[in-house]
Amino acid sequence: MLTKKVTILNESGLHARPSSELVKTASKFKSDFFIEMYGYRINGKSILGIMTLAAEHGAEMELIVEGSDEEDAMREISQLIENKFVAE
Amino acid sequence: MTQLKEQAGQSVVLKGIAASGGIGIGKAWIMPNSNTVVKPEKISDEEAKREIDKVNEVVEYVINEFNHLKNVSDDEEIKNILDTQIQVLYDPQLLKDIRAKVSKQHFGSVYAIFESFNKYIELLDESGVDWAKERMIDIVSIRDQLIKTIKNKGSELSVAENSVVFAHDVSPTEMIQLSRQKIAGLIMQKGGLTSHAVILAQSLNIPCVIGTNWENFDCESCPKVLMDGDSGEIILNPNDEEQSLFNKRKKKQIKLREESLVWVTKPNETNCGSAFTLRANIEFLNELPRLKTHGAKGVGLLRTETVLFQHKNFDVDNQIQFYSSVLDAADGETVTIRLFDAGGDKLLDDYEAEANPFLGWRGIRMLLDKPVLLDQQLEAILRVSGEYPGKLKILVPMVSRLEEIDEVKQSVHRVARLLEIKNISFDKSIPLGIMIEVPSIALMADQAAEKVDFFSVGTNDLTQYTLAVDRGNENISKLFEPLNPSVWKLIALAKSGADKAGIPMAVCGEMASKPELAACFLGMGITELSMTTNSIPEVKAVLCNSSKKELQDLADKILSLHETHLIDSYLKKWIESKSI
Repeated sequence: MLTKKVTILNESGLHARPSSELVKTASKFKSDFFIEMYGYRINGKSILGIMTLAAEHGAEMELIVEGSDEEDAMREISQLIENKFVAE
Repeated sequence: MTQLKEQAGQSVVLKGIAASGGIGIGKAWIMPNSNTVVKPEKISDEEAKREIDKVNEVVEYVINEFNHLKNVSDDEEIKNILDTQIQVLYDPQLLKDIRAKVSKQHFGSVYAIFESFNKYIELLDESGVDWAKERMIDIVSIRDQLIKTIKNKGSELSVAENSVVFAHDVSPTEMIQLSRQKIAGLIMQKGGLTSHAVILAQSLNIPCVIGTNWENFDCESCPKVLMDGDSGEIILNPNDEEQSLFNKRKKKQIKLREESLVWVTKPNETNCGSAFTLRANIEFLNELPRLKTHGAKGVGLLRTETVLFQHKNFDVDNQIQFYSSVLDAADGETVTIRLFDAGGDKLLDDYEAEANPFLGWRGIRMLLDKPVLLDQQLEAILRVSGEYPGKLKILVPMVSRLEEIDEVKQSVHRVARLLEIKNISFDKSIPLGIMIEVPSIALMADQAAEKVDFFSVGTNDLTQYTLAVDRGNENISKLFEPLNPSVWKLIALAKSGADKAGIPMAVCGEMASKPELAACFLGMGITELSMTTNSIPEVKAVLCNSSKKELQDLADKILSLHETHLIDSYLKKWIESKSI
């Protein structure tokens, strides 16, 4: 299991479009993916779950990835967040 | 409310907001409000299996509908929204919740869907974030669509061909179903100009009027309804006269549409070979695909306030993205970006309502007082110009004094210098022009033309400022006369100023979208016109079918007339003689 703390950098926060990108990226991997914020844990492959976080610019959250491809998954997911959700 | 029972036999005229052009004539058909009552019914173990199958089936069905919808629309923005909606239907957590409610708690499929969605809907509602509330509406509609599909299974909307459909609101899937049935038109109580239903209606050429309070009237028993999607006019129980008028309008429109689309690909020149340019006025991204289909040569007026104020932050990056997508759609033609033309009400928290907003703090007046806002917009435009050199122009709105031109030029220089220091490339000779919409600047056109690279006439504001007629005031709406000779005189004055300085002048106001007025402008030597994309084919057809000499004679005649009604009747006669 890997964990990592990240901050939402894009100006408008984790709104619908970034949430959608995040789910797309996470769903490519077999590993389970969770996000923990304010002690609230959601399934990171659930678009509704992510949207309900309503994470704004500057929000801090912990990514939790567990599974056979967890390293690749963590790398791509955190890269996406660092790139402000602009898919490469 | 009492009107409804008294209307028997009488024709009733309703007015809504024109949303998708064309004339619709048909029998009224009221779209039923679907049954979405949800009760917590318990089921047995055996039934649970079947209910889970139902959930799987309905989710798959709605995903298919959304995918189908994606193929109908050529609008990227809509496709993105639909993608997100499809993602919701694939949401593993949501599906798990629904299945658990059925198999563990023994609720029926409908209630399980309802409850599972509601958990998320409530969280979004409580989040206090604007975008979350907007998305919440989409998610509610997905929920209701699943429930509707289960409840009304197999009952596809069935409408008699050529009906005028009256609806409260229409979901995208319902719109697709309606379009398969060849309806004559759609009248909605709700819906915005950018709603899915309206955009689909436009791309499917279904006349549509929104914002109509039809529910107060007994529409159901109307044997005939007339509607005009270009004016927003609706007539229930029309009399013979009204019917023949609409029949004529419809025939003319169909003919015009067919004939004018033929002109889209023809060269932009009169029948004697004199060239002109027709560009598009663009306000929303979803209008961009029409540049190509309607034969626009680039964008003559890009309004920036609506799109950018929809997003809370119109920072440089967001603007760059917006302008770049417009330039991509323009396909190598130029794009004229008008700087924010808004009053403080749309923008600032410290704004106080003004007694005369049209005579107030708007356009360049406000921008010069808000240098950060102005500089950000200029920076975004200049950065994009580096990517598309020679393709961008800057248009300054609401200029009323020569000094304002100097000040805005200083701002451009300041931003340009900063970019130079940062070694960022931009178009160093990007043209800067002004709107001619305030009489004071039209009167100083000779001097203004010396300071700028082009003029663009905004006819609606020029009319209201010249005639001192507030165009929003219904008491004096009759006095709002774009054809008034004084307006023509000011346009001619501006044109002469532009000619003396050797700069081009365009007309980008509503007047340019009327074929007979466009003809007159071309006759005055104004060879560049910008208008809503929908008007381009029709305008082009008339211009291509005229000779330069004929248009010059028309313009001379119009400029020699001194009363609005004479101008109006002369133009009407002229365009009638043109119609083929």
